[in-house]
Amino acid sequence: MRFLAGLLSSLALAMLAAPALAQAPGTTHHVQASLVADAAGVAPGQTIHVALRQVIEPHWHTYWRNSGDSGEPTEIKWDLPGGWEAGGFVWPTPRKLPVGPLMNYGYEGEVLLPMTVTAPAGATPGQPVTLKAKARFLVCAEICVPEDADVTLSLPVTPGPAAADPKWGPKIAQVLADAPKPGLLNAVFQPKGPNVALAVTGTALKGADLAGAYFYPFAATVIDHAKPEPIERGPDGLTLTLASGYDFQGGKQPASLTGVLAVGGKAYEIAAAPGVPPPGASGLGPPPAPVAAGGGTDLGLAAAAAFAFLGGLILNLMPCVFPILAMKAASLAGHGGGQRAEARRQGLAFGLGAVATFVALAAALIALKAAGSAIGWGFQLQSPPVVATLALLMLAVALNLSGLFEVGTSLQGVGSGLAGRGGMAGAFFTGVLAVVVAAPCTAPFMGPALGWALTQPAAAALVVFTALGVGFAAPFVAVAEIPGLLSRLPRPGPWMEVFRKALAFPMYGAAAWLAWVLAQQAGPEDLAKLFAGAVLVGLAAWLLGLSQRRAAAGGKPVILSAAAVLLVAFAVAGAAWPQAKAGEIASEPYSPARLAELRGQGRPVFVNYTAAWCVSCQVNDRVAISTHAVESAFARHKVAYLKADWTKRDATIAAELASHGRAGVPLYLVYGKSGGDGVILPSILTPDIVVKAVEAADK
Amino acid sequence: MIVRTLLAATAVAALAGSAAALPQLGQPAPAFTATDAAGKQVSLSQFAGKTVVLEWTNSGCPYVGKHYESGTMQSLQKKETADGVVWLTVSSSAPNTQGYFTGPTARAWAAKEHWGGTAILLDSAGKVGRQYGAKNTPHMFVIDKAGKVAYMGGIDDRPYSDPESLKGAKPYVALALADLKAGRPVATPVSQPYGCSVKYNSAD
Repeated sequence: MRFLAGLLSSLALAMLAAPALAQAPGTTHHVQASLVADAAGVAPGQTIHVALRQVIEPHWHTYWRNSGDSGEPTEIKWDLPGGWEAGGFVWPTPRKLPVGPLMNYGYEGEVLLPMTVTAPAGATPGQPVTLKAKARFLVCAEICVPEDADVTLSLPVTPGPAAADPKWGPKIAQVLADAPKPGLLNAVFQPKGPNVALAVTGTALKGADLAGAYFYPFAATVIDHAKPEPIERGPDGLTLTLASGYDFQGGKQPASLTGVLAVGGKAYEIAAAPGVPPPGASGLGPPPAPVAAGGGTDLGLAAAAAFAFLGGLILNLMPCVFPILAMKAASLAGHGGGQRAEARRQGLAFGLGAVATFVALAAALIALKAAGSAIGWGFQLQSPPVVATLALLMLAVALNLSGLFEVGTSLQGVGSGLAGRGGMAGAFFTGVLAVVVAAPCTAPFMGPALGWALTQPAAAALVVFTALGVGFAAPFVAVAEIPGLLSRLPRPGPWMEVFRKALAFPMYGAAAWLAWVLAQQAGPEDLAKLFAGAVLVGLAAWLLGLSQRRAAAGGKPVILSAAAVLLVAFAVAGAAWPQAKAGEIASEPYSPARLAELRGQGRPVFVNYTAAWCVSCQVNDRVAISTHAVESAFARHKVAYLKADWTKRDATIAAELASHGRAGVPLYLVYGKSGGDGVILPSILTPDIVVKAVEAADK
Repeated sequence: MIVRTLLAATAVAALAGSAAALPQLGQPAPAFTATDAAGKQVSLSQFAGKTVVLEWTNSGCPYVGKHYESGTMQSLQKKETADGVVWLTVSSSAPNTQGYFTGPTARAWAAKEHWGGTAILLDSAGKVGRQYGAKNTPHMFVIDKAGKVAYMGGIDDRPYSDPESLKGAKPYVALALADLKAGRPVATPVSQPYGCSVKYNSAD
């Protein structure tokens, strides 16, 4: 009766669905079901494995034991001869089957669902046995069709255990070997606001590739299946953040969280009890994003490129770009008046230099990420040799602007401190230099765009970085290209010398700032080396100037020039390889453990992700955080102030930034005393913003 | 200010499609307005002071079929609407998907099934469906006279398409409505919804 009803409803459905299905009318069979055994026969009292085999039509799927947001698991009802017994399915690890905003768990293609079948001790050898069952399953593509199948399997009863079935024996053995294994991992869960932290530890997870780890719950009501499951690694395991489901409504929680953890090609059955996650289950951040992976469709490529372009534009206004703006202004001033064609070419060369540098940085970043290095935006200023070299370069540029020596004959050669050539190459390298210095100033928009790009395939990341470069170069190129704008620039004249010498001072400032960054990174000894290098650069610049004046007077100052070049080489070699050394420990340095401890005490916590080389961070520190208003607000509300210093590479902080969708600093988080997620403050702070956030956190 | 606006725009872009405030038990039900099968605008707000049932449907879904072919859905609709309950049947199937309704096809389906609700809402854009986080057909919500969510989940405790499974099922929605009528707290206010996936458009 039940079968008939099922068949009739299936037929009715097939008629309804026919237009969408493009199949022969009347047939509903999207699945071929059969029974297969791992042994060629069964001995009295022996237990063998029999599997329900489903061969599923392409693009259709059947369901796991928890079907997810819709669907229904496959069932089997046995009609066995007296004394024979069958166990339940051993469910292979399913796959995720997202449908629009929903998530299902199931199988595609071919699946074997093994069960045990035990013969009674009194079975008669020599007699074949027929095992009969009715399988019921829902098979779905865009639409769902319930199907029934009568399946049978005839096996000889043998006097002793029979040989493995040559075809299905190895396949069933493989399915059983791959099936989720219970009892190997420890797990606890803890509700956290709208989420549940599921912490899993065990030796099986040590050193495993945790990327793509996923928890498939046995019950459909414990989590919101469609939400992603962010991964935090730890020395002993991992913590997944799951969106809590119906069972957590109204402050309740289930007695246990059971399911399958699929990780690194293996699967484990876990049964989590409520509890506090052990410290070993977190602290190492998310696994590095696989570079070739797709996904991350939250921010479309076009939108990301648009934001990157805007971010590039805004970079021009950031404090740490000011020295470069000075160079650009000087360079442009050199072309005021008639030389439009030259100005255009140089504008383009500058643009090309800027864009090429962004692309090169992106390529390096992608390569480094692929190599598994936990780094983020701004990494080029995290390397002390790079900082030292840049400091010397800034000094050389400043000395040039001060008139100690000349590079080329006009002010447009400012950037050719790098190129050693004027004209086009100089403009190109001005573009390069501008990006190298500007990049660490993560303007507010660059955060999302870069965070997105770093989880994307290399090609998409390159598009975003190119957009960033184009945005950065756009204002300068526009001024150079549009004669209307250019002709409004003042005419060249004696004022230029004054202007140029004035512009030297931002460059001295930049050199001083880089020296300070180096001191933070590498310590006083390396600072001494840098200063020695700086003196040598000064001497070299003076010698070079001397030789240039002699040459202008008709002399042959080969020795002087050679000495200058040699001195510069010494200066760079001596200063550029400082030994990295541990930095000062701040009074309240950030660590995830300290944060958890403070939050456990019910205190509001302010976390400042900062770096010495991040000028926006320093500006915020001075004008917003280190103010009387904020200080007294912190005291009034008993706020714990944690500083996460990213001046040097730090995997934990990089991971924290990544978990908030950022690839760089600044990032300010305020945690309320009554729990919940941290509130992200704007990247440009005022004392008022901080005070209000702190007041809200104490409620 | 520009920065903040753009940040907000970024956040919106990132969250696009994931409704921010899904219905919470005991909290005010999200407000909506939709066009019904007769072409009229129907708003949740116009039923203030009445108990409202929301039923997500898909005429081609076997789970919906289980409740309509057996007549259990229609008899509950007729009994409750006679008692003054507002019963809104919502179709969030997108065009060219199973169960997509236009005014005429919805009216034809209603006549054929002897449907007994108050209005059939045409939500082919999935707006109301996403607002409520409707996952399945049938996915049921009961909103009490104060406009708060009193029940959400499956229509009963049998997540199967087999009509045989109706026997002895615990009819959560009928029980919740009875509890509300009697002024009792709803005994089972949340359950696992089951059925076909709602055939949303693929906008996200």
